[in-house]
Amino acid sequence: MIQQIEKRDGRCVFFDLTKIANAIYKAAEASGGHDYQMSMRLALDVADYVEKNSPTSTPTVEYVQDAVEKVLVENGHARTAKAYILYRNERSRQREMNTGLMKVYEDLTFKSAIENDIKRENANIDGDTAMGTMLKYGSEGAKQFNEMFLLEPRIAKAHREGDIHIHDFDFYTLTTTCTQIDLLKLFEGGFSTGHGFLREPNDIRSYSALACIAIQSNQNDQHGGQSVPNFDYSMAPGVRKTYWHNYRDNLAKALEVFGVEEEGLEPAKALIEACGKKPVLADDNGTTEQIRARLLERTDAQTVDRIVAFTLKYARRETERSTYQAMEALVHNLNTMHSRAGAQIPFSSLNYGTDTSPEGRLVMKCLLLATEAGLGNGETSIFPIHIFKVKEGVNYNPEDPNYDLFKLAMRVSAKRLFPNFSFLDAPFNAQYYKPGHPETEAAYMGCRTRVVGNVYDPSREIVNGRGNLSFTSINLPRIAINAKGDVETFFEELDEKLDLVVDQLKARFRIQCDKRVRNYPFLMGQGVWLDSDKLSPDDKVGEVLKHGTLTVGFIGLAECLKALMGVHHGESEKAQHMGLTIVTRMRERMDRESRETGLNFSVIGTPAEGLSGRFVRLDRERYGVIEGVTDRDYYTNSFHVPVYYPMSAFKKIKLEAPYHELTNGGHISYVELDGDPTQNLDAFESVVRYMKECGIGYGSINHPVDRDPICGYTGIIDDVCPRCGRREGEPVSIARLRQLGVYKNHNSDTIGYHGDPNEERDRRPNPIESCCN
Amino acid sequence: MNELNHVTYNEKGEPMVGEGIGFERIRRITGYLVGTLDRFNNAKRAEEHDRVKHDIRHSA
Repeated sequence: MIQQIEKRDGRCVFFDLTKIANAIYKAAEASGGHDYQMSMRLALDVADYVEKNSPTSTPTVEYVQDAVEKVLVENGHARTAKAYILYRNERSRQREMNTGLMKVYEDLTFKSAIENDIKRENANIDGDTAMGTMLKYGSEGAKQFNEMFLLEPRIAKAHREGDIHIHDFDFYTLTTTCTQIDLLKLFEGGFSTGHGFLREPNDIRSYSALACIAIQSNQNDQHGGQSVPNFDYSMAPGVRKTYWHNYRDNLAKALEVFGVEEEGLEPAKALIEACGKKPVLADDNGTTEQIRARLLERTDAQTVDRIVAFTLKYARRETERSTYQAMEALVHNLNTMHSRAGAQIPFSSLNYGTDTSPEGRLVMKCLLLATEAGLGNGETSIFPIHIFKVKEGVNYNPEDPNYDLFKLAMRVSAKRLFPNFSFLDAPFNAQYYKPGHPETEAAYMGCRTRVVGNVYDPSREIVNGRGNLSFTSINLPRIAINAKGDVETFFEELDEKLDLVVDQLKARFRIQCDKRVRNYPFLMGQGVWLDSDKLSPDDKVGEVLKHGTLTVGFIGLAECLKALMGVHHGESEKAQHMGLTIVTRMRERMDRESRETGLNFSVIGTPAEGLSGRFVRLDRERYGVIEGVTDRDYYTNSFHVPVYYPMSAFKKIKLEAPYHELTNGGHISYVELDGDPTQNLDAFESVVRYMKECGIGYGSINHPVDRDPICGYTGIIDDVCPRCGRREGEPVSIARLRQLGVYKNHNSDTIGYHGDPNEERDRRPNPIESCCN
Repeated sequence: MNELNHVTYNEKGEPMVGEGIGFERIRRITGYLVGTLDRFNNAKRAEEHDRVKHDIRHSA
């Protein structure tokens, strides 16, 4: 009788007959059998066979398993044998995955980000840091767990093999993607971060600080980005309150300075209170006149004039200064504050542009100027993404009240790459717009995600408190390669893939719905998500999640058309027509699903970072190098004309615009400009205006922004820095830097770059009347 | 110590700064700006490399 067997890792363990019997019984059960005695008899046969035939005195596990298969087949248990083989294959796949996971962990541990692409999967996470690596351990482990235990096998296979890609798969069981945070509502009466209560802010500096904290807190509850849909409207009350305080304090000072009162504060408060309303930045609501009248009862006209002039001048000046400082601090905070155990800064986006109140306008002006000035050393800030909402009658034409801010936004974008521009007049955005209701103004996540329409609750077609729940992309080029030029086959397979993705999105949605409010202390616990304020901590979030979107995405429309027709949509009108037919097909499928389920299914032109390389790598392994399809290291982003294809900016915009209308879950178009666009703002504006006229929903202009950290030059640097003349990696003499006036002091604390006199000299005067700082 | 402060000397004995310091190149990737190409994954590096400029001299 056999005493021991050898396991896969080389250890020898006691041979246990019941284990074989159990395995056979399980396989038999899977095919309808219930006879344990039979399993035991078969196990004894296996033991006999192994004892007689094993080439080694201690048989290996593999040898024993082979023997089980043989014995089952020879004894006429074909179905049980089949179940056993399937079970064995599944186990060995899981074993391989476990070994694979350990290999991934090994690479994460011992390889730097330069050697390891996984560590650079997300460009805004530093994979070389302790917390960045810890995050990757968790992420890679979660992906394998989810694939092994949660996905239906056919969906797991499609994801694994690259027919589809389930985004943020590591978070599959945990949370949803993103939210447009309504700060106005959140600040009302104060809020709690889960670690402490913050009272309603009273000053623009607190408003901006709390805005950052809200973004940070919500980022820890979700895996996608965080956006504010109404930054101008949200901050305006902070400016209003700041102005009240400054007005009161300066009136108090003036009363003292001009000899009307010994102690000015209480009389100043009383004077304002007697007006029955508070002073405003525009000084057009009669408060000052009332105060003037009361003061005239106390003192002479000349003194009253002085008091009023002093109060108005300094109240305004200090409010402007505070607002600028608040916006400067916001930009700094959003580029330095951490989320996710310190591995990442929150992915923040701010939408603004349409508030025409003097307070909202001041906020926007200061935010733009602070962004134009750059961070501490004048460098371009990475966050937040600014999205300037363009709207006729509000800011698009010279006679519009915020036209000056539109111009300023373009000037800043020409230097700093932000703002991007969203277009509320595009028909698919305009259909939701209701004047006087900023929550109906289409807002975007920086990445491009868009959530406005609401099939679940048509009375709430708004942006505030909503976002995407999850999205999954389809590998369009592969479907086209498989179709071998046959359009009918292509659409059949596309339909199949769409059905598959819909099933998968629903399965994930069911998992998401089972979560409770307490799983999201900020997002749900503080009422950030629409209607979550009606829930208790132990309630499930399923019902309110229905305000979110379930979205199918795609990349590589260009390569898909190449594979299907030999040309992409930049090259041929027919291909453009086919491209639109394909995306229309996707949209119609999602619309149908929305009608049938009452859930918000939508289509997005996927923002692919890791995916752009993954799909093409898998397809090249499978089909080899196909010219124009798999011959580059990336598939083209969403519906874009390929980045390598030369084309005029205007033609590109015109070709891509119709896809914006179809992709209701999100879209963006880029134009790459050559040279320094700050030198040609008219050209910059003509591109933005053309986007608007063509019906683009969300667009942005790329141009090179380089910086030499040694002399501080920001602009275009080819091989040689145009200011200090050094090449990349080469030193420059301190004498030269001194000569340029960019080197202040030869001291280890103050050496290097401190402000930039050249850059400051180049700045143009503000286009708006009063100054901020 | 900040690398930007690191002083070296050339053959004439003049103090120099900036040895080993590259230029920062800010690019946009999936909508977000990234401060340096070093953190781009391989595919996005290739894509960024291939980007061509769009002419604005002629309208469509």
